[in-house]
Amino acid sequence: MNNIKKEALLKKRYNAEKRFKLYGILSIFLAIAFLFILIFNIFSKGSGAFLKTEILLNINFDQKKLGLNNNSSEKEIREASFDEILKDALLALAPSAPELKQAELVDIVSIDAELEIKKFFLNNRDILNKSYEVSLTLSDDLDQVYKGNFPRDIPEDRRRFSDFQLKIYDELVSKNKIVSKLNWSFLTNADSREPELAGVASSLVGSFFTLFVCLLLSFPLGILAAIYLEEFAPKNKITEIIEVNVNNLAAVPSIVFGLLGLGVFLNYFYLPRSTPLVGGMVLALMTLPRIIIPCRAALKAVPPSIREGALALGASKVQTVMHNVVPLAMPGTLSGTIIGLSQALGETAPLLLIGMVAFINVVPSTPLDPSAVLPVQVYLWSESAERGFVEKTSATIIILIFFLIIMNSFAIYLRNKFEKKWS
Amino acid sequence: MNNDKIKISTRNLNVYYGAKQALFNINLDLMEKKVTALIGPSGCGKSTFIRCLNRMNDVIDICKVDGSIKVDGSEINEKNVDVNKIRERIGMVFQKPNPFPKSIYDNIAYGPRIHGLAESQNVLDEIVENSLKKSALWEEVKDRLNQPGTSLSGGQQQRLCIARAISINPEVILMDEPCSALDPIATAKIEELIDELKKSYTIVIVTHSMSQAARVSQNTGFFHLGKLMEFNLTEKIFKNPDNKMTQDYITGRFG
Repeated sequence: MNNIKKEALLKKRYNAEKRFKLYGILSIFLAIAFLFILIFNIFSKGSGAFLKTEILLNINFDQKKLGLNNNSSEKEIREASFDEILKDALLALAPSAPELKQAELVDIVSIDAELEIKKFFLNNRDILNKSYEVSLTLSDDLDQVYKGNFPRDIPEDRRRFSDFQLKIYDELVSKNKIVSKLNWSFLTNADSREPELAGVASSLVGSFFTLFVCLLLSFPLGILAAIYLEEFAPKNKITEIIEVNVNNLAAVPSIVFGLLGLGVFLNYFYLPRSTPLVGGMVLALMTLPRIIIPCRAALKAVPPSIREGALALGASKVQTVMHNVVPLAMPGTLSGTIIGLSQALGETAPLLLIGMVAFINVVPSTPLDPSAVLPVQVYLWSESAERGFVEKTSATIIILIFFLIIMNSFAIYLRNKFEKKWS
Repeated sequence: MNNDKIKISTRNLNVYYGAKQALFNINLDLMEKKVTALIGPSGCGKSTFIRCLNRMNDVIDICKVDGSIKVDGSEINEKNVDVNKIRERIGMVFQKPNPFPKSIYDNIAYGPRIHGLAESQNVLDEIVENSLKKSALWEEVKDRLNQPGTSLSGGQQQRLCIARAISINPEVILMDEPCSALDPIATAKIEELIDELKKSYTIVIVTHSMSQAARVSQNTGFFHLGKLMEFNLTEKIFKNPDNKMTQDYITGRFG
């Protein structure tokens, strides 16, 4: 009787164990599934932005129309208008088109097409008076058609391109005059109102400057504060209050730091608005507790025997801490710092408040120039109406995730490297 | 024991951890170039006592040390005495081997470096080699001085810590249960080493092993509940102790 009861109990225990395992596997599976859906969604939407569609257009570099000759200086060429030869080449696609449709023909290329021809000509001066096939950026509407992002079968009055444009486009496709290329300009261009020209360069550089300022401020301050609090400060009421407040600071919503930046850095110190300098300072405030806390934890985890060993050799307190304790706490501190910085990299809200949400169409050259940052760029583009910005938004998220993965891998690498060395 | 020179003497030494008194009126003389063993049950204050001798108790905020501790006749238990200078003269080896997170070489070189004992790299190399030789570790590690100290076995690590302690040429070495984390073979090596080291250094060793105290020491003190119950020649303590409690402890009746 007793044995049977024991058997039943044992079975129950095993079943409970199996159930628990199952729940665990299920939740991991769910988490991975969601992650996969998210990544798949972003990549399928965003990968298109890394390709651009171009049109191969036969252009006649007519000397008279350009008003140039073989001896023209570079300045003269830059000042010359290439609009007319571009228009001629576009009109040649449908010579019999009525005048009303001519404007639609001009619209099938990007507004930067004239500049592209000029650039091409500057690199190939000998083609004056000759006809040459030049690759020009297609307008973003047809670009979206080419990538299959825009349904062609909806009524003409509800799309951004006409049947006539579509007819010309189809002809060009059948003649292999429409080509897809790697979109380097997405990485080298600054923001633009035209989706086909918009790039992440200004926000990429802005993010870099911002993080750099943030690291420069928060790393030394955070480490010194952590070392002092953990190793030197007397344990009393004051340090207890400081400790509690540092922990609270880590939980303050980031937008509050933005308000602080707006109120203090911009309105009191009159630092330049919309700049990586102020952005980095605001993010440094936010990152400080996120460095202090892991650094203190890492210092606390260093065995006291190491401190005693050094003290017993007659090392002073500072020598003991700097030579023996801090190196051991470095891996934890560094990975904490990098994770704090990667949070700062993805931060949007506080930067909106200090004006980093402005439309910036030049790449900043110093941290004192107005600039955007990657997450704000995502925010800006996600609000734009043009279809071309949908894929740009996702592509910017891909770039952001790419940098986050790099930073976090670096944190893991550092931790493993140091841990292997001393354990 | 009367014709030996006294190296350290404590008079009316009282130690408090907050409100709790850990040591009561300890009067003890440690002889130069002799091994003094301190025995007693756990929590009796032996470790607290030797941590007073190099002022390691300063590290503990709530610890208060009262009384006189004289090294070569001069008082060290005073605020204005530089603890770093004392610790340079009185080294310490701990219960658990605690090599620094540095190479074997740098573990030994650390002390001489911070005290500026070596003017040149050659002198430093010599100090490292001599210290490792004195601690009988040289032959085992001479080919891998650049490997981390933590890569050694427990017994080797403890000898490394002894080498580290003698690298700055102290006068006294305090050992706080140096063999409690080691296997019998490693223990035997450390005991041999202590025998060798007493030619040059005054050694105080706290131990839980009665046989170890009997083997390595010349003088033994028996602590119980924070009081020094008996202090005498080791032979006398183990063969014919004056105190009944000492007798009971060494014969294993309590502790």
